[in-house]
Amino acid sequence: MKNKINSLVLSVSKINREHIQVFLVVLSLAMFVLGVGAPDDGGYGSR
Amino acid sequence: MILLAALVLGLAVGLGMARLRGQPYQLPDLRHLWLVFLAFLPQFAILYIPALREQVPDRWAGIFLTASQAFLLGFAWLNRKLPGMMALLVGAALNFLVMTANGGFMPINPQTASRLVPQEVLEEIPIGSRFGLKDILLDPQDTRFEILADRFLPPAWSSYQVAFSLGDVFLAVGVFWLLIQPSKNSTEPKRILI
Repeated sequence: MKNKINSLVLSVSKINREHIQVFLVVLSLAMFVLGVGAPDDGGYGSR
Repeated sequence: MILLAALVLGLAVGLGMARLRGQPYQLPDLRHLWLVFLAFLPQFAILYIPALREQVPDRWAGIFLTASQAFLLGFAWLNRKLPGMMALLVGAALNFLVMTANGGFMPINPQTASRLVPQEVLEEIPIGSRFGLKDILLDPQDTRFEILADRFLPPAWSSYQVAFSLGDVFLAVGVFWLLIQPSKNSTEPKRILI
């Protein structure tokens, strides 16, 4: 039983780590292209 | 929006190709991710948070944008060996060049801008004023590196109108290419935030 719980905790933590990695890489790439890109659809008007 | 669309499309195609090959999808092995966060967050604050956007003078906004893009260029340079990253680097450099040469903002001419907002709105925006998020309304003859400005548009019949630059084209191709390519050193553990 203890082994099962340990293995469950291990797999959940692995999934979380992988998900966090994917999230961070995709988020970073999104921030990168938004940061260096400058397309404009006029949505924000002028100031 | 078009750059995020290229990102989502690249991710979807990459996942689909990995599935067809029967292999797990490998994300690009990006290094120095902290640089992106460091560079983008101030830019996010002054462009996307209305209260701050109104308070920061245009001159300072231009300086912030330039500094932010310099850091992002550094990130692309540090990851230049990844497939697709060279296109991203070229796109970032082209946008950096034209924006730095025009006060930190991306120039857009009134004719192109007229496809994005109604004519009566455009008439109220003086030449030399900021337009949209990162753009500045400038006549072509007053624009440095005009060929690199936001001068391209989708066909007139398209319901979504957006002005984009040559640099943006490189960025869209680069991010798509980066995400459809399997990582070559997939046996190495991925480094996150290192």
